[in-house]
Amino acid sequence: MATAPNPAQKRYLVRFMPIMAVYVVAIILVSLAFDYLRPAGPLAWALALLPGVPIIGMIAVMGLYLKEEGDEFVRSVLVEAMLWGVGVTLAAMTVWGLLEFYVAAPRLPAFFAFPIFCGVMGLAQPFVKRRYR
Amino acid sequence: MKNRLKVLRAERDWSQADLADRLEVSRQTINALETGKYDPSLPLAFRIARLFGQPIEAIFDDSAA
Repeated sequence: MATAPNPAQKRYLVRFMPIMAVYVVAIILVSLAFDYLRPAGPLAWALALLPGVPIIGMIAVMGLYLKEEGDEFVRSVLVEAMLWGVGVTLAAMTVWGLLEFYVAAPRLPAFFAFPIFCGVMGLAQPFVKRRYR
Repeated sequence: MKNRLKVLRAERDWSQADLADRLEVSRQTINALETGKYDPSLPLAFRIARLFGQPIEAIFDDSAA
């Protein structure tokens, strides 16, 4: 995506940015609510789930972009980068889980699965692209 | 897969960007095709063949070596 964004990429950004903003606001509000209001029972569950809605939205927007991207090579690079993200996330979380089981390694919250996936996918993209030069 | 895209493009005096515009793909796609490291889908291969007015097998060479 080094060149000017194509229409599918623009749509992706227009969809992604507001959802990202909603996520940031939701995580701040929910954190404050848990700090000050100490919710309990079903309300606590509902509040805890709230930032999950924009997370699911982000994943849906990524899937939608993949579907709408008309340039097959760009799509193929993204799919490869996503597979790196999936593979590294599964490997890291699962292997770390073994360390938690057997040697009481510090707990790695499952929450980090999506950020790890996104980070690895982002890092993988330039390397995947370079293979086709 | 080896191909003659670069030669065909040079014969017409097109830049990679010109060819990209005509095929409605990105310039990096043209680059990846010309290095032979990315094989196009069947629909894109047909578009390339039609654009140059040649059969697919005259542009792409699937023989090893």
